[in-house]
Amino acid sequence: MRSRAKLAGLALVAASSLLVAACGGGGATDTEGSGSGKPQRGGSLTVLEGAGYAGAWPTGLDPATNTTGGANQSQMNAIFGRLFKLGEGGKIVPSLASGYDISEDGKTAKIEIRPGVEFQDGTPFDAETVAWHFQRVVDSPCNCSPSRYWRLEKKNGITTEGDDTVVLHFTVPSGAVISQLLSSNANWVASRTALEKMGEKKFKITPVGAGPFKVVSNKLSSELALERNPTYYEKGKPYLDRLIFKTIGSEQAAYQALQAGQGQAYEGMNITPLIEQARKNPQLTVTQQPATSPYVIQLNTKVAPFDDKRAREAIYYATDTNAIREGLFNNWYPVSQSFTAPGGKFHHASVPGYRTYDLEKAKALVQELGGLEVTLGTLDAYVANQVNEALQSQWEKAGIKTTIRSWQLATLIKEFDSGKWQSMLQTAGAWDPAAGVSVDFRFASTSPYTGVWDPKLDKLLLDAAATVDESERDRLYTEAAKYISDQAYAPFMFAFAPQNVAVKGVQGPGLTTPISSLLVGPAIWWEDVWRSE
Amino acid sequence: MSTSTPALGADRRVSHGLARALRSPSLRLIGRRLAAAIPVLWGVTLLTFLVLNIMPGSAAQQLLGADATPEQVRQLEAELNLDQPAWVRYWEWLQGVVTGDLGNSIASGQPVTTIIGQRLPVSVELVLCAIIVSLAFTVPLALMAARRPNGIVDRLSMVLSMTGLSIANYVFALVLVVVFAVIFPVLPAIGFVPLSDGLLGNLRSLILPAIAIGFPLFCFYTRFLRGDLVEQMRGEDYVVTAKAKGVGPWRVLIRHAFRNSLFGLLTIVGLNLGTLIGATVIIEQIFALPGIGQELLQAINNRDAVVVQAIVLLLAVVVVVANLITDLLYAVLDPRIRYGQRSA
Repeated sequence: MRSRAKLAGLALVAASSLLVAACGGGGATDTEGSGSGKPQRGGSLTVLEGAGYAGAWPTGLDPATNTTGGANQSQMNAIFGRLFKLGEGGKIVPSLASGYDISEDGKTAKIEIRPGVEFQDGTPFDAETVAWHFQRVVDSPCNCSPSRYWRLEKKNGITTEGDDTVVLHFTVPSGAVISQLLSSNANWVASRTALEKMGEKKFKITPVGAGPFKVVSNKLSSELALERNPTYYEKGKPYLDRLIFKTIGSEQAAYQALQAGQGQAYEGMNITPLIEQARKNPQLTVTQQPATSPYVIQLNTKVAPFDDKRAREAIYYATDTNAIREGLFNNWYPVSQSFTAPGGKFHHASVPGYRTYDLEKAKALVQELGGLEVTLGTLDAYVANQVNEALQSQWEKAGIKTTIRSWQLATLIKEFDSGKWQSMLQTAGAWDPAAGVSVDFRFASTSPYTGVWDPKLDKLLLDAAATVDESERDRLYTEAAKYISDQAYAPFMFAFAPQNVAVKGVQGPGLTTPISSLLVGPAIWWEDVWRSE
Repeated sequence: MSTSTPALGADRRVSHGLARALRSPSLRLIGRRLAAAIPVLWGVTLLTFLVLNIMPGSAAQQLLGADATPEQVRQLEAELNLDQPAWVRYWEWLQGVVTGDLGNSIASGQPVTTIIGQRLPVSVELVLCAIIVSLAFTVPLALMAARRPNGIVDRLSMVLSMTGLSIANYVFALVLVVVFAVIFPVLPAIGFVPLSDGLLGNLRSLILPAIAIGFPLFCFYTRFLRGDLVEQMRGEDYVVTAKAKGVGPWRVLIRHAFRNSLFGLLTIVGLNLGTLIGATVIIEQIFALPGIGQELLQAINNRDAVVVQAIVLLLAVVVVVANLITDLLYAVLDPRIRYGQRSA
């Protein structure tokens, strides 16, 4: 038995040494990415996607029925293109659309369709098809459906003007309509002719859009092979001849596959030691994307102990965000004091009066409360679990006894449904706080995932999303952030910034140059991605 | 009359032959085993269904993700027919299975038979390669180790076996990739090349996954076979007799002892088929192989009960059939075993 244990130990040590030796590197850190040089045509690119998120498209790739469209934005963007896309510096760039106009009262939005564009099956990309598509996705069950934000008029909510204009008619002002369109499946227009010809079942496997790449083969949640669309509206693009998305089971396996040359890019690396190795590896480029969604410790203000403001304040004071950022994530991720982050709109570095780490104040509050025992939950994921463990030990120093729980999605939702949860580590906000996993999602009374029921905050958030004027929106969101802080509703921590890894020689916006994340990661411009050899 | 007589004779011979065949002990064994398998397989489907229903969260919730609102979940549940009572859904599925219809995936709407048809060949090839890898090295090494117990080959084989048994197959898989795909890039790290794209490419894509699955089994089989061979060589009368007759040690080992030890090995290989199939679930993930294991894991994550039930049923059938074949092979390998004959 003893010799067996020794042998087992030896085997593991040998294996670990091999892994570390092989995965290590000695090159210079490259976190800036490289978007320089003249793009070259041709070549094939294999993109590895994690099985748990972007690599899972179990319901197919029809924008109206793909329930995980938000996670599969890379595949969807490559096939369907986009009406609008988010560019560097947070600029909205018209693509298959040529522009937009929102009425002063925010109740009408006109979207201009780029003339002369064709779908991959040769049919015209016109206003009528876009309007049909909008109606279809509004009725779709995807959590990326615009129906979660758009309050369209029941009759004639979507109309057309001529061949090139689609008009959206809202019952309430919708100032953030284009941001919401960007983060929804409305942005991916399907060919109506192809869908009617194939039927929904076939279309979801081999969909047809007007994007830079056409589907060659599609094994759901396993491998999607695409080829260049020669009729793409931007002349000379896409640069690549073939684009393949391959699902891979773990980040470690993905990293090794990149090293072995079996993949050329990986989206959204999370595991800190692997990111460190990748940054040191001279064969790879690691690009940290601008952060948009901060981590927040949601506190359930309806139940004890967080129905007492002093308990909430104690959590604020006991949380040392900087220590966590530094200790766990090498200071990669920026601090956030509200639901905005440096990569998103309406961001301000600090919120006046925000309660930062102060252990003595935390201790005093806990003492005043006669002790504090809390349960802190989260969705079972690498970063969140790491943070929760750190929070447990930090809060312990202030005398807060913390039980941490890590839940699978279904159990997490059950916890929210029960209303008995106490605190949850979650992300809140997006590039535009009114889109994606919006601030309302965590703070509005109407959301099933809120910890706050406050009419004043509801009004602030509603007004901010409805207002057309951007400076007024900024003012309203700033006020909302200050109000959340004043009421000690939920301490914010840092904004997670996804890191994309590519082999040297591969370049493209969102992959090797920074583009703000619309959802969890940035929407890469696959039509502009190219290989230098 | 003259023409009908031979025809009648032929008919009689056919029916006679059929009757004899039906009385065949082996066929009766097959019949009995298959009949016994029906409640087993039904139990497997029921258990799978119950477990999937006990698990929190519906397929709709899983597919929509953490950001879905309860209204969206309800809408999708209605679209997917998940708002029906559980027993109704199970009964409908079971009726379909009996008539050969495994149903459609809840997630994709694709027929399950199509999904299995796409994925099964990859896993079958992988499992076969893993068995070949494990047995191809087991037999020679165990023979060499048993030839001189405690000799250098025996000791080396023990070190190798203990290493293989101690290391988790997913760790071993990552080590294999580092060595044979990263440091010495001779084999692919991920992906599957179908047989239709060339035999060489196909085999290359399966070598590392097959070794990752087959190596722990090889280690186990080697220890087992070596032990059995040593025991036979030491104490069995027929070995002593053969040696007394002047038969050489290698010949005794291979022709006599090994043949006897094959039964034990065969049993172990048959019993380990379930373990082997289980290992493909993890290994297919690591090597990005589009096999049945990868599909099963995705279906479980999506709470796609129809796909999970169909795959579990298929795997249960494979295990039942494999065990039956193992039993029948006994009779082929050992003329003394004849099913249905009474022991003296």
